[in-house]
Amino acid sequence: MRDTGLVIITSIKNNLRLKIVLIVYIAVTIICVLGIVIAFCLFLIAPEMNVELPDRSKLELYLGLIMYSTCFLGLGVNLNAFAFQSMTREKSRGNIESLLATPLKVKDIWIAKSLAIFVPGLVLGEVLTFIVLVAVNYIYFVPRIGFLLTPWIAVSSFLVAPLIYFCLSLLFHLIGLTGKPATGNVIVQVFLPVIINLMINLMLHGILDATSWPFTLANIGIAAVIAITVIFLRPRLTRERIVLSR
Amino acid sequence: MNSVISIENVKKTLGNREILKGISFTVEMGDIFGYLGPNGAGKTTTIRILLGLLQANSGKLDILGQDINLSETRRKIGFVLDSDGLYENMTAEENLVYYSQIYGLSKAGERIDKLLSMMDLEDRSKDRVGTYSRGMRQRLALARAMVHNPEVLVLDEPTAGVDPSGQIEMRQLMLDIAHKENKTIFLSSHNLDEVQRICNRIALIDRGEIKLYGELENLRLKMGSGGIVIEITQDIPESLLAELKSLSHLGMKGKKERTLIFSPREGTEISDIISFLAGRGVKIEEAAKKEASLEEMYTAILKEAEPS
Repeated sequence: MRDTGLVIITSIKNNLRLKIVLIVYIAVTIICVLGIVIAFCLFLIAPEMNVELPDRSKLELYLGLIMYSTCFLGLGVNLNAFAFQSMTREKSRGNIESLLATPLKVKDIWIAKSLAIFVPGLVLGEVLTFIVLVAVNYIYFVPRIGFLLTPWIAVSSFLVAPLIYFCLSLLFHLIGLTGKPATGNVIVQVFLPVIINLMINLMLHGILDATSWPFTLANIGIAAVIAITVIFLRPRLTRERIVLSR
Repeated sequence: MNSVISIENVKKTLGNREILKGISFTVEMGDIFGYLGPNGAGKTTTIRILLGLLQANSGKLDILGQDINLSETRRKIGFVLDSDGLYENMTAEENLVYYSQIYGLSKAGERIDKLLSMMDLEDRSKDRVGTYSRGMRQRLALARAMVHNPEVLVLDEPTAGVDPSGQIEMRQLMLDIAHKENKTIFLSSHNLDEVQRICNRIALIDRGEIKLYGELENLRLKMGSGGIVIEITQDIPESLLAELKSLSHLGMKGKKERTLIFSPREGTEISDIISFLAGRGVKIEEAAKKEASLEEMYTAILKEAEPS
């Protein structure tokens, strides 16, 4: 545990020193989040709030979609921005090989590297989601219908979306360490748009209700599929395979 | 003497290629052991096996009498790999603190200061490693290898890409580490001059097999073709030269200025030649058996091993 913590802290510090990547990451995340919030507010929430009796369930759904997308963006853009280049750099420069020659366990290095990428995204994703939740509520809902937040969307946004991305980070690092980081990167690059599109479409077509427990369960299902893939590939994680994959 | 590294009939196959074909050698306590060989001979694979990064397919390997895969054994080894593995965004000091913490040292400040001073990096200790020259990086990598005060150092071409003055500095550092800090060094190198200057024992690997192994001095004598070189204080007359040439058991091979070269027959000792010359009134400055240089040995062994 101490070893994992040590590697996490050092890796986060090291990643955050990549100033240009950090600036691009934060800027892209904020621009994307602002775009989604403004689009939803102008085209869906504002017209609904202008009617005499706003449909509370519709507004909860829109807010849910904004929160869910915001958290996904914070986590997803982070993984896209840092994971690939951090893994490629550390493998090519021999940082990983050097760590493997120390008493650290391979599993600890893997989990630490995954958490080092995941934690900053989690912090930004959760903070932005919270800001969006409070801002949309106080700008539109609180003056007329009160504070809106359904428990299932809160669970999906604040807990399950990060869980999905933690599993994805573990998967990326497992593939990146034992094979080519580019392969893991393709999965990450494809995952973010596909999953957001899928979920939003399922919700907009009424197949899944973002404010209900089946939506949360569907998200847990996605996390479970990734987790099972990780468990299946886990035996590949050996010092030898990592060193030879360089 | 105690064996620090013991490798016995170690084999390693990667894919269809047999990289190590049953290599055996031991490195004794206090040795600076030179591990030589051309590119692709199996040096890096051996080092990776020594560090537990690769697993041997068969054979026996232990370091300080322990299995390398034990975390306890890893704590006793310091290493410099072909890629230095330093974090470029971190300072030299941060790199050393990080590795000292990995090895479980909570207060290594004094040790780190000492190492930075030893490597002549104290003035640049707060600078990011990305701004360092190749020589400075290699010295820092050596400091990192020493941060937890290991008993054995495994160094994979630590002077590769370093300029000549940097190589001299590294060489001196390795000697200091071995003699003042009492460490055993396993040094893989392409640099024959470096190995000849600092190593006391060597192994030469080619195509996965150990071709030459032992005390460097003994090997040099053994492979020195039994020649004898005698330096004389003043030139000798032609008549004496002709007499020397006529005595076939002395095996006079030639004369270069004041140097006489002999290749005597079996049974004729260096003392027989000296006595003969002294009897003729020749003053001798120096007499020695001709030793093969490491380069000569290296070339001869590799030429011999070339497939016909």
